[in-house]
Amino acid sequence: MTSHTLWPRGLALAGRPGIAIKLAALGIVTLLVALPLLKILAFTFSDEATGTWHDVLFSRLSYNLFWGPLRNTMLLGFATAAGCVIVGGFLAWLVAMTDIPFRRTIGLMATLPFMIPSFATALAWGSLFRNSRVGGHVGFIEGLGFAVPDWLAWGMAPTLIVLIAHYYSLAFTVIVAALATVNSDLVEAAQLGGARRSRILAGIVLPVVLPAVVAAGSLTFASAVSNFAVPALLGLPVRMQTLATRLFGMIGIGQTARGYVLAILLILVSAVFLWLGNRMISGRRSYATMTGKGGRSKRFQLGASRYPLFAVAFVICFLTTIVPVVILFASSLAPSSSALFSGWNLHYWIGRSNADIAQGQPGIWHNPGILSATAITVGLGVAVAITTTAVGLLVAFVLARYRDSIIAAAINQLTLVPLLVPGIAFGAAYIALFGAGFGPVPALYGTFVLLVIAATAYLLPFSVQTGRAVIQQVSGELDESARMTGAGTLRRLAAITMPLAARGLASGALIVFVKIIRDLSLVVLLFTPAMPLLSVLAYRYASEGFPQFANAITVVVLVISIAATLLANRLQSKSQPWLKD
Amino acid sequence: MIRINSLSRRFGSFEAVKNVSLEVPAGSFLVLVGPSGCGKSTMLRMLAGLETPTGGTIEFNGKTVSDGDGNWTIEPAKRNAGLVFQSYALWPHMTVAGNVDWPLKVAGHGKQERAERVGEVLHLLGIENLGNRFPNEISGGQQQRVAIARMIAPRPGILLFDEPLSNLDAKLRVEMRSELLRIHRATRATSIYVTHDQVEAMTMASHVAVLNEGRVEQFGSPGELVAEPSSAFVATFVGTPPANLVDADLIPPGHPLRKGNRSGRLMFRPEDISVGSGPGPASIEMDFAEISPLAGRSMITGTKNGLRLTAVTDGDFRFSVGDKVHFLLPPEPAACFDDEGKRV
Repeated sequence: MTSHTLWPRGLALAGRPGIAIKLAALGIVTLLVALPLLKILAFTFSDEATGTWHDVLFSRLSYNLFWGPLRNTMLLGFATAAGCVIVGGFLAWLVAMTDIPFRRTIGLMATLPFMIPSFATALAWGSLFRNSRVGGHVGFIEGLGFAVPDWLAWGMAPTLIVLIAHYYSLAFTVIVAALATVNSDLVEAAQLGGARRSRILAGIVLPVVLPAVVAAGSLTFASAVSNFAVPALLGLPVRMQTLATRLFGMIGIGQTARGYVLAILLILVSAVFLWLGNRMISGRRSYATMTGKGGRSKRFQLGASRYPLFAVAFVICFLTTIVPVVILFASSLAPSSSALFSGWNLHYWIGRSNADIAQGQPGIWHNPGILSATAITVGLGVAVAITTTAVGLLVAFVLARYRDSIIAAAINQLTLVPLLVPGIAFGAAYIALFGAGFGPVPALYGTFVLLVIAATAYLLPFSVQTGRAVIQQVSGELDESARMTGAGTLRRLAAITMPLAARGLASGALIVFVKIIRDLSLVVLLFTPAMPLLSVLAYRYASEGFPQFANAITVVVLVISIAATLLANRLQSKSQPWLKD
Repeated sequence: MIRINSLSRRFGSFEAVKNVSLEVPAGSFLVLVGPSGCGKSTMLRMLAGLETPTGGTIEFNGKTVSDGDGNWTIEPAKRNAGLVFQSYALWPHMTVAGNVDWPLKVAGHGKQERAERVGEVLHLLGIENLGNRFPNEISGGQQQRVAIARMIAPRPGILLFDEPLSNLDAKLRVEMRSELLRIHRATRATSIYVTHDQVEAMTMASHVAVLNEGRVEQFGSPGELVAEPSSAFVATFVGTPPANLVDADLIPPGHPLRKGNRSGRLMFRPEDISVGSGPGPASIEMDFAEISPLAGRSMITGTKNGLRLTAVTDGDFRFSVGDKVHFLLPPEPAACFDDEGKRV
């Protein structure tokens, strides 16, 4: 289909239709993605930053600035990726291929940890395992009279455990989707050939899902090295630095040039491994798509190990979904985190200022800072949901309609870039670009607008994907058959396109809303006291020694995001009379 | 009347339709038939106005509606044509009645008039009781009827069909063939129908254009195509079963055709070939492939070194795999083709 046929004759004759819309999309994407990254790169080579690269990489300071954090970051990245692939792959295998009891429940629970923000899981860990090493309240386990060793309370081990507990569901989602495409015919064909179960797993199933396993590994690696909240909450108190926390620290103490250099290095680390993973699997994907409609899938019989395996799976899911939420909730009600389940009251929720508790901080219902942060956070979520939907639709439309042009190819590449950029590095790039004004643009640091722009850019890959799905769903023959009736563009948009696209767009917007509400890494650098956000407040309360306020705020974030997620799921799957099976 | 003149369509360097010219009178049922990738769907999309030709013209009733040389085309809705898509393209969020009604609404008809027309066409298609259902709640054959009802509701002068029966099962396909012919008669509209199934072409068409690699191989009535195929491609593409082509040098030594010193390929109709009881100087020995009863006769196929022969003959035969079959060719071929496949 070419562009000519989609426009009335006059426009087609006018030469190059849509050049304006193409350029608009390119302009938006360039401004959102390319400019901040170019700016941060240019800054580190400018006169203001003379010698910074040398300081970071090759000076006496560089072990503390870069190589030490890099070592920790890589260790966390590889160990998290390995742990996530093992745990997520194990659960995916159980759910997709075996006759484990309560398959659906496990499948649902294994996707939940990713919906809980990683700072919530880290806070829950602290509420359980804090010891007295860094002062302040001790956690529940010391409260019970057990001594928690330092290595379990702080530093590498808890960071790693929490990262795996958070990101294994990402690996699960990717691998289970691939396993689901392993047609039971494939397995049955091997069984008819006389292959044993282990042989089928190694010879048929693994090769087919290998691309997904590699993808899961590189995604979880990139996520772990980008994560800020978990090492900041569990590692920073004992001076364990990662690239993300070091970057945060540098910007925080005003050494922005060094911070920017670290941001670029962090982007490189994350991007290189995503690229490597992608390279390993490119060209091999093709056979994952060779699926027709398989018959009813036949499952591996687990036999006697059915219930023991179920117990293992259930414990994993239970510990990573229900336990953290219960701890956060209990902790927000208990007077002290050392006694989580006694003396519950609502002080942290609705209490007035009381000098005996938490240095006189009132409960969140009476705390103007938290209330305004709630309003601003929800406002930001709504604003970003709208902007990303609009930008995503525009870009997806341009990509779909002008598939072959060079401009479209450039737009396509640029929209994928944010996937490679850790949130905190993106935040740094936005400070670099908008910290001072340039051209006609005023300085935006500390404004709501900057948060909206940065978040829109950060979520661009996701929103373009949503937009593409929506456009694909409604274009083609459905739209052509409406054109045959003579309905104009606007009329087709109103009567055909919008009704079919509305639900997809709404659920995409809700998911964006949730992503923003619970994001910490992108906004932690863009935050200013004048523009507070819930996730940043929770982080600051926790790092300043008020973990229970942090927990109460996190519960608010959780409630909002769970409600929105449920609504999104409902919109996506709600029985539409025309979508019923 | 539809007149297609030197019609071409390029996609980059690929030429999907090459210099096609043909003409059918009003009320005809034209079938464009050919293997996949022969350009027939591109032809139909140009006729519908969804695609602009890169060369040549299309005329409906004497009026030019597409001009590839001038690079313009009249919008789909203004050419008085309706199209049934291969996927049916029913709007999933509208009921059956809603699907039929919406094009009328767009055309600006009044409510009362629309309701009457919707009832009329649903009745014509025998689906008047499905009006309130959604497309996903009805069967494939019923969806097909809705798509046709939607197309004919605004009374277009030209009906276009893009492989409309390809998603239906074999029995339903036969039923819908007669149904489509009934609709064609009832509306008296000129119909253009695209298919890769030569049986559909032979049974439904008043005119057939056999397309191959973007060109018209032959244009004529179904009877003409079978009786006088103009190329080896057409000879082996149409007819049930299609005709046999035998290389001249494969004619057995004892056969009278050997004396004529022929070259190229010779066409024999299945009904002209008989099956002998044993080897003979004029028979071709082949490996038995399949046998099936056909209207009181037997259709027997044998293969050997890539050659495939089918005979339709009387008699009670018992063959099983591994047997040899001895085919007897008639003294004269029904047609001869040169090495390029042209009729000589």
